[in-house]
Amino acid sequence: MTDFLRRLLRSPQGALGCLVVGLILIAVVFGPYLTHYGPEDMQALARYKGPSAEHWLGTDQYGRDIFSRLLDGARSTVLMAVVATVIGTLGGAIIGTGSAYLGGRSDEFIMRTNDAVMAIPSLLMALMVVSLLGSNSVNALLAIAIAFMPSMARISRSVALTVRKQDYVSAAIARGEGAPYIVLREMLPNVIAPIVVEMTIRVSFAVMLFATLSFLGLGAQPPATDWGLMVSEARQYLHRSYWILLWPSAAIALTAIGFNLLGDGLRDALNPRT
Amino acid sequence: MTETNTVLRVENYSLAYEVKAGAVQVLNGINLAIRRGEILGLVGESGSGKSSMASAIMRHLAGNARENDGRIWLGETDLRTQSERQMSEIRGSRVSMVFQDPATSLNPTLRLGEQLAEVLIRHQKLTPAQAWAEGEARLAHVGLKTPREMMQRMPHEVSGGEKQRVVIATAFACNPELIIFDEPTTALDVITARQILDLFGALQQETGVASLYISHDLALLSQTADRVAVLQKGVIVEEGETAQLFRAPQHAYTKALIAAAPQPQRLLVQPLDAAAKPLVSVRDVTVNYGRKPLLDSLLRRDFAPVVGSRAVTLDLRPGEVLGIVGESGSGKSTLAKAMTGLNRFEGLIEFDGKPVRGLSDMDAEYRRDVQIIFQHPDASLNPRQRISEILARPVKLYGKGQGTTRERIVAMLERVRLPASYIDRYPHELSGGEKQRIAIARAFLSNPRLVICDEITSALDVSVQASVIELLMELHRDTGAAYVFITHDINLVRQIAHRIAVMYRGDLVEIADAERITDADRAPYTRQLLEAVTPPASTHSA
Repeated sequence: MTDFLRRLLRSPQGALGCLVVGLILIAVVFGPYLTHYGPEDMQALARYKGPSAEHWLGTDQYGRDIFSRLLDGARSTVLMAVVATVIGTLGGAIIGTGSAYLGGRSDEFIMRTNDAVMAIPSLLMALMVVSLLGSNSVNALLAIAIAFMPSMARISRSVALTVRKQDYVSAAIARGEGAPYIVLREMLPNVIAPIVVEMTIRVSFAVMLFATLSFLGLGAQPPATDWGLMVSEARQYLHRSYWILLWPSAAIALTAIGFNLLGDGLRDALNPRT
Repeated sequence: MTETNTVLRVENYSLAYEVKAGAVQVLNGINLAIRRGEILGLVGESGSGKSSMASAIMRHLAGNARENDGRIWLGETDLRTQSERQMSEIRGSRVSMVFQDPATSLNPTLRLGEQLAEVLIRHQKLTPAQAWAEGEARLAHVGLKTPREMMQRMPHEVSGGEKQRVVIATAFACNPELIIFDEPTTALDVITARQILDLFGALQQETGVASLYISHDLALLSQTADRVAVLQKGVIVEEGETAQLFRAPQHAYTKALIAAAPQPQRLLVQPLDAAAKPLVSVRDVTVNYGRKPLLDSLLRRDFAPVVGSRAVTLDLRPGEVLGIVGESGSGKSTLAKAMTGLNRFEGLIEFDGKPVRGLSDMDAEYRRDVQIIFQHPDASLNPRQRISEILARPVKLYGKGQGTTRERIVAMLERVRLPASYIDRYPHELSGGEKQRIAIARAFLSNPRLVICDEITSALDVSVQASVIELLMELHRDTGAAYVFITHDINLVRQIAHRIAVMYRGDLVEIADAERITDADRAPYTRQLLEAVTPPASTHSA
């Protein structure tokens, strides 16, 4: 484990990714303690302010401190993105590995259905799920998880196909193990490495998808501090104070870059031979 | 200072690989000399540094290799002082190499002719047309019947034996001074290997090239090499004329190696009660690979499946050891997989009087009674599970027996002579032989009545193989389980089997008692197979 961490931190992408993701995690965990303004405290006298010693990142149209709102928003935005990715990835991995295990006609059926779902762009897919279930944060999370499943299923199936041919799987079948045990205990642990890498990269997509859904008004609802929603609301005040728009956009971009770099670093660290 | 007829001389050469934990010494103070027209056999187990020696002579070492100031002379040339450019002139023209697996040493995207002609164009400075014609002549020379067509073929269009002939033709193409053979017949079938060896012998006689023949097979070297050097952990422990070395080995390691080679005369199995009712009857079992595509069945098109094994019928008595031999692709493993429910099959398997017609008839009891052990322990043990989990599965699935799961695993580890502390390790922390013992332990934890061993010793070194066989025979005596022992090592199977079944291209050729397999009235294919087998080293010297 320590050897793995050392390999991860040695590559520049890995080190930078760890740093950025670490900062974001600090914001998620200790956010409220880092600032003395509440995210919804309005100050009528301090509207549209630029960055100053008082308000590090300035204030918005109601005089709310943008820094506090960003820290608070990190909780919902990043946490939701991670949870949605984990659900989507695990679901996809189980579908893909199971499909590879079953093989033959069932494999064809599952993968062709999967292809059909994959043909729908993930944003459209998410929009469809949200408009069917109603727009709130939980449904947006579900929508993103479902939108991620087909491509994860495809990736894990290709890895699982080579694992399926290994003798330890044959040995498990020969001693009469059930399908759940073979898929979950024999195969899944051996396909997990590429999936973990893909998952970290997907977190950044999820952050952006969430922001997009909130921006379109289909995710979190005001006065929530979701970053996408903050961007959406700030759009109308662009000419009076561009700070309101800039900071949440920068936060989204930074998170996406951070997770992407971490994914790159993990990919190198998990495959030391390449 | 060199004798004129010495082609290769290695003087006090040492090699180490630098890894994170420090330097790993691979070769230590090696001294070797090969004269013109001589074949020097280099024998050793895996990890003894055989292949590193070959790489050192070819000057093709990994980046982390650290050498001492030992010398490698090719004739008058000091290979260690050559630049990379000079070396690439020497490779192919003065030294060439034949690798183990012709399937990977030929480029799959180039025609055989192009690969052969390239060597001639590069080193003999021939024009492409000349090289092509010369290549044809070379292929005819290595006994390929249609050289003109062969030049045009892609590697996947010819058999393994033909590919190795092309590789050999390429190696001999520029009349090199030295050819290094790195286990050139290990990947081939017994009969093909014999033909390749005969060809090699003839070419060697004709050209008088010096050869370094690397192998782990003592029996094979006893027939091909003039002198043999025994390599153990990077040190040459003994070197001498082949006959002398095998008749009177001096070093303990050489003695152990020779003793570990299977000898058909030394039977390891007790005679069997012939009257017993069969435990397993296999009746007309046919396995076809491939499934009819949906489109074909809709269009009523015919579909020809690949036949794995065709209408195999055989009986197995309780406690009997049945050997199955045959070349690769003969359907040995296919039959084993059908019997353990890994392949669909047609026909009938009767186990202890109960009929089994398909996978659905294989209930928990059948699964418990019939166990399979695979060839590669690396592949058959899940790398992400600890030994405790791997061995706990049969106990959990089949129950039965006293004591907790952990106690039973520890007891089983003792029976396969592994320390109980291995229980919390991962498979990669064990050696190849130890891993195979774990696989054996897994099979025997369910108290099986039939154990199918699918080439279980062919991935192991000779001495490890001997101890694994000893363990298997001991378990056989203790448990009375019947074995189906699939192998291509005929010397070995004659030692341990009651009867031997010979398979060829999916058909069962015949079944004969082990002691009568050499009789003159055996089927032609059986006799051909036995003739191709290299007799074991010690009988050769006697």
